[in-house]
Amino acid sequence: MNNTALAVVMGLYFWFANLRFGYTFSGMLKQPVCVALVVGLITGQMAQAMTIGAGIQLMFLGVTSTPGGNVPNDPALAATIAIPIAVTLNMNAPAAVALAVPFGILGVFLDQLRRTINAIWIHMADKDAEKLNYKGIYAAAFIYPALVGFLIRFPVVFAANYFGRGAVQALITAIPQWLMHGFEVMGSLLPALGFALTISVIGKKKLLPYFFIGFVAVVYFKAEIMAVAIIGVCIAYLVRKNANKEEAS
Amino acid sequence: MTQTKKLSKREVNKAFWIYQLGCEESNSYERLQSLIFCASMIPAIKKLYADDKEEQKKALKRHLTFFNTEGSIGSSIQGITLAMEEEKANGADISGSAITSIKTGLMGPLAGIGDSVIWSALMPIIISIFIPMAKSGNPLGGLLPLIIYTAITMYISYFLIHRCYTVGRSSIIDLLQNGLIKEVIYGANVLGMMMMGALSASYVTVTTPLKIHVPGGSTIVLQTILDSMLKGLLPLAAVLLIYWYMQKKGPRYGVIIGTIIVISLLGSFCGIL
Repeated sequence: MNNTALAVVMGLYFWFANLRFGYTFSGMLKQPVCVALVVGLITGQMAQAMTIGAGIQLMFLGVTSTPGGNVPNDPALAATIAIPIAVTLNMNAPAAVALAVPFGILGVFLDQLRRTINAIWIHMADKDAEKLNYKGIYAAAFIYPALVGFLIRFPVVFAANYFGRGAVQALITAIPQWLMHGFEVMGSLLPALGFALTISVIGKKKLLPYFFIGFVAVVYFKAEIMAVAIIGVCIAYLVRKNANKEEAS
Repeated sequence: MTQTKKLSKREVNKAFWIYQLGCEESNSYERLQSLIFCASMIPAIKKLYADDKEEQKKALKRHLTFFNTEGSIGSSIQGITLAMEEEKANGADISGSAITSIKTGLMGPLAGIGDSVIWSALMPIIISIFIPMAKSGNPLGGLLPLIIYTAITMYISYFLIHRCYTVGRSSIIDLLQNGLIKEVIYGANVLGMMMMGALSASYVTVTTPLKIHVPGGSTIVLQTILDSMLKGLLPLAAVLLIYWYMQKKGPRYGVIIGTIIVISLLGSFCGIL
């Protein structure tokens, strides 16, 4: 597969996913497992793309919408750059996770830029309301954010893919063994951040015993994730009345 | 009072689609979701105030005031607003500021419910269930979460906007006071906690290669000792330490990532990790 085409598609994907067209749909499109699906389709290396996508996904599991919509990290920017580069360079999943880190943080600034610029459209809408220009309001809500969003987002991901691949390749061959292993350790530790963040946003310390149940079920009983999910649904159903008790206490 | 002006299912559906498609697209720091909320009311405003341009302008302006909530559960506010605009258009004694204050009063509590159910529980749970599939290279691990999550959340929003339009204000106050919603949140949190435990055990794979040579020729492998105490001790410690730090200092992403990078590189360099 032509790398220029891959860079173009990733740039377009990032633009569209972060446009947030379709509230929950785009929220999921931003996730690395969905980006991996597209990378897999284009490169023809589906299995490898999905494995790497899953690895990066874990780090971003708890990164969802926080009050006011400010996200601490952007999974879409990290994934649209790290997954295609990792797949085409045959990197393993932990190394790809390490590669994703800086882009995730950079993505936050892009989102702040977008929401600052978006203040222009609301003022246009104020004037449109005065003139009863309904089409103008629709355009301010849908068309203008999309056009300017393209200018902010497409070049970043296109350039990172187009020029980044060579840089990453040079880096991989140049760095010493201990450093490469250090990146792999980082990749094996970073998912812990995603899980800790999810526990933190659930925000109920009293429920920590359920975390240990899930943990022990896997390390000692070798339970599969699906088995834990089914047992979890059953337990959730059985203990649901505690919700109101907790409120009363 | 005669009900002469009545919204049809069509206007409610249009409001639903406009808001669901665009509720984050035009989000700005200045007034967040106000622009899209206003846009979603346009079909109803055109119909209800068809013969009064001044009322149309006033209606547009009152929906351009500050608004922000969680979009899936927040569609209930649209339903209530549509019901109130309809009453107002039919001559009921509802001031524009009454509509605005109902909206601003509800947006906070509903954002709280929406964030904790739709984003903090439902989304990670659905992704986690399909993570093993993705990890093994199956494209369904990406496709199924996309379809299932979108379908469930859209169904919830569609149900809420129609329900709240029909039943009006009382419905949402019932919903907020109803024990059921608390039970759903609690259940989702229990499930979420168990999933995080299971995933931490499966995917945080840090181990130590450290070996201690004891005089006399035998070698102690540190990881074996750790395993005999508690399997997965290092991954568990990693997750709990980060969690503990977040509880103390808030979700300082940069500091945590920086620390992980330093520990990983140092650990690798010294041969501890």
